[in-house]
This record gives sequence, C-alpha cells and structure tokens, in this order.
Amino acid sequence: MRDRSLQYVLLVPAFVIVLATTFYPLAYSLTTAFRDWDLTRSRRPEGWVGFDNFAHAFTESHFLNSLWVTTIFVVTSVALTLVIAMSLALLLRRKGRMHTFTRVVLILPFAMSPALIGVSYRFMFNPEFGVLSNGLAAIFPWLEGTAWLADPELAMAILVLTDVWHWAPYMTFMCLGGLASIPRETEEAARIDGASNIRIFFGIILPQMKGVLLVTAILKTIFALKMFDQVVTLTGGGPGTSTETLAYFIFNVGFEWYDMGYASALAWILTAIMMTISIWYVRMLLSERKMATA
Amino acid sequence: MKRILLWWAERALLVLVSVIVLFPIAWMFLTAFKSPRDAYSLSLNFTPTFNNFVTVFSHPWNLGDMVLNSVVVASVTVLIAVPCASLAAYSFSRFRVRGRKFLFFLVLSTQFIPAVVIVLPFFLMFRQLGLLDTRIALIIVNLAIVTPFVIWMIKGYIDAIPTDSEEAAMIDGASRLRVIWDIVLPVAAPGILTSAIFCFILTWNEFLFSLILTRRDAVTLPVGLVNFRTERGDLWELMSAAGVMITVPIFIMALLIQKHFTRGMTAGAVK
Repeated sequence: MRDRSLQYVLLVPAFVIVLATTFYPLAYSLTTAFRDWDLTRSRRPEGWVGFDNFAHAFTESHFLNSLWVTTIFVVTSVALTLVIAMSLALLLRRKGRMHTFTRVVLILPFAMSPALIGVSYRFMFNPEFGVLSNGLAAIFPWLEGTAWLADPELAMAILVLTDVWHWAPYMTFMCLGGLASIPRETEEAARIDGASNIRIFFGIILPQMKGVLLVTAILKTIFALKMFDQVVTLTGGGPGTSTETLAYFIFNVGFEWYDMGYASALAWILTAIMMTISIWYVRMLLSERKMATA
Repeated sequence: MKRILLWWAERALLVLVSVIVLFPIAWMFLTAFKSPRDAYSLSLNFTPTFNNFVTVFSHPWNLGDMVLNSVVVASVTVLIAVPCASLAAYSFSRFRVRGRKFLFFLVLSTQFIPAVVIVLPFFLMFRQLGLLDTRIALIIVNLAIVTPFVIWMIKGYIDAIPTDSEEAAMIDGASRLRVIWDIVLPVAAPGILTSAIFCFILTWNEFLFSLILTRRDAVTLPVGLVNFRTERGDLWELMSAAGVMITVPIFIMALLIQKHFTRGMTAGAVK
C-alpha cells in the first residue's frame, strides 16, 4: 500500500472509536440541551424549548451555588497542587537512596482509585474512630470532638486534601521532567557567584519552568473541574450543598431528578467553562514559547 | 554546621513526604486485616484475620463478580484502545497527513469534555438498546475517555524514535507495514506497554460510568465500595478489604513499570 493512502487507513480505527464514543454523544446531548425531557414523565424527548434550560440555570440558586463551590475547589486545589509539586520536585531532583525511595512511593497515589481515596479519608476523619480525627485531637486538644465532615468549611478542606494527595505526586513527576531539561550551567555559575538559593530559584529556575508549570496548571485545572468520585464517596455533596461541585450537581439533576434536558444544558455549560479556561491557558503558553525563542 | 542541618532537614522532609503518602494506604491495609471490633479502635495491637476477605467474597457482597467485571472491562478496553491508538499515533508522528493539526486537535479536545457530558446520552442510548448494566456498555464509554489519551501518549514515544533505520529499511524495499511491525514496534514496545498499563489503571479506577450505567450485574470494584455503606452504617473493615483488592493489582502494575511510568507521565504532556 502506498504511504499516501496508508496514512489515512492507520487513522481510521482510532477515529471511528473517537467519533462514535465522543462526538456522537456530544451531538446528542447538545440537541437534548434545547429540549424539555423529564425521564419520569416520558420515555422520549418532548418539545423544543430553545434556551430555556440554559436560562433556568442562571436563575437557580442551586446551580449558582455549585458554580461557587467548584470555583473554590478548583482554585485551592490547583494552587496547592502546583506549589507542592514544584517544591517536591526541587526536593527530589538530587540523587540519593532516600530520594529514589520517595520517588517510588510517589507513584502510588496516582494509581489509587479516587473513589477509594474518598472512602479512606472518610474513615480516617470519622469523629469517633477515625485515626486522623483522633490523632489530631491528641496533638491539638482543642480539636477534640470536631465533626470534620459535618462542617462546611472543613468538609471542603478535606475534599481539597484528598484531591491534592491524589494529584500532587503525579504533577511532581511532570515538574521533575521539566527540571531535568533545564541546563545546570547557569545555575552553577550563579551559585559560584554567591547567589542565594532563593534568588537562584526565582531568578533562574522558575522562569525556565514557566512552560512546564503552565501545562501542569492546565491539566490540573481540567482534572479539578471534572472531579467527581470523591464528592460521592467522601461528602455526598454535603453538609447541605457545601461541597456540591458542578459535576456532582449535573449528576444529581440527571440521575436523581431525571431531568435530561436541564442536565444536558448544565453539562454543556461545564464544557464551555473548561474550553474557555483551556484556550486561555494555551494562549499564555504560546506567547510564552514565542518569548522564549525570540 | 549549616550544611549538616540542611542535610538532616532534607532527610526529615523526605521521610515526612513518604509518611503522608503511605499512611492512608497503610491504614487501609491494617484495617482490612482487623476484626470488626478492632476496626473501630485505633489500636495497633490486634490479631490479624482473613475473615474480612472471606466475607466480602461471599454472599451478599460477592466481590468476586465485581473483580471479574473490572478485569474484563479494563482488559477489553485496553485490547481495543491500544492497538488502534498505536496505529493512529504512528500516522500522526510520521506522516504529514492533510489536516493533521486539525485532526490531532480534535483528538486532544476530547480530553476537555467532562465525562458527565458523555455519559448522559450514553445512558439514554443504552436504555433504548437494553444495554444498561452490561459490561459492553462500560467498555464502550471507557473507550471514549481512554483512546484519545493513549494516542497522545504513544505519539510521544514514537516521536522520540529516530527515523533513520525506518528510512534505510524502506530504501531496501521493505513495505511501510513491514517497517512498522519489524522496526518501530519492538523499539516502541516499552512505551506502548506503559501506555497500556496507564489505560488499564484509568479504566480499572473509573467510577462515574459504572455508577450510572450499572445496577447489579456489571458493577465494577470502585462502585462496589459504595455497597458497604449500609443501614447499619459504614462497614469500614469490609470496605478496607475491598479497597485492598482494588489497590494491590494496580500497585503491582505501577511499580513494575516504575521507570517508564514517570517518563510516560511527562512524555506526552511536556512536549
């Protein structure tokens, strides 16, 4: 077979899968978003309602709450993950037996099921027999009797904690990859000239890591916006609606209330948010690259 | 003096990091071997028992069925996604396909789509087709998430392979397919294996699809965890035993490919 046709033939199986499993359902859900379809009422989609489903979202306090919850979750978990990942990468970049051991250990959280992470933390923060709730109370007596997951702010904090625990190690490896590609000469020259570690980090390492950190930030933001599993197994959206993220809210609308039209519209709002943020990040990344090559 | 202090501080930090990562995992493993009464105490002084594992594998929990579902769904997804993705990745890497950038962007853009968007229409379709609560349904939706990701990853590996020997073989008259099979595949094998294991991990841990699309027959392990939340409260010792069953195979895989693992994470992403 000639290359010219082969290059397309090779793409066919993968594209059949991608088109059938993502673009077809996307089209389906886009049309559903403009219809009135309550699954408890009817098995088939009912009338077209234009933008009603979208308009409904922005007047509903439930949805606005979930937007706010998602914003808090994404901002804190992305910021914490990036700072921790970058620091760990600096810590782990040297050679040594303990460094190697820690690097191996860091593979584990990514491999662990997020649903299971939620369950484990729920267990550890159980007010009566949780090892962390009791351990913390032993060290800090004023925490005695704290009902961790029954407090809106603490529940959110633990939700963020599980997510950072899950992702920071993975992101550390990305940062390590970035650090490895920076030439060491400038850094060593600066060190010989007597520059302090802090100045070396902000003056030499950080500027060269910008690209990698941006990619890491994009990925982490996407993952954080999609985060769903731990909400189910850790907090169930509670207490009240204090940890009800957008993804979890959509799930509720679709599979607790069976309002397919509204759920599809919400799902598209989430997609639009993710697309917008990604495009914004990618633009920053591209201008960064231009500056670097100029 | 300052140097010694720093040396110790660095070691202390490393230990702290390892403890933070290992503690939740270790606690789950310990709890899995505790009797129900010990599970509700914090004592480390207990007689280990295998009872929890016996319980979760027997009626009414039947964890064995879920293990089987998870194994089948994850393996079949990998067996379909990885070969298809490898071919596509080769094409993206070596040919200047017309509209290549657009096609590749199309593949990548699927990563920005939240799973909730995909699962809603699939739920409706599978309901019509009577495919709810089947493994086939889970395999189809998992392919949606995994295939683009694997194309991206494998392309990173193939990009890193020099084209010289391929070109030499082609000049000697070998066909393109022969070149892919005899020259590229052996070199790319570690990368493809790593991608396959990544893909397996993602599918194995997948929760949302299984939660929505299964009820009883096709439930996979992560969703099975939710079953241990009963009217009598959460049965932590059984949840932990099930957690061990979910975790151990994946940890073994992750550690087996440990060296490639960290490279695989960065290969596709940083480029």
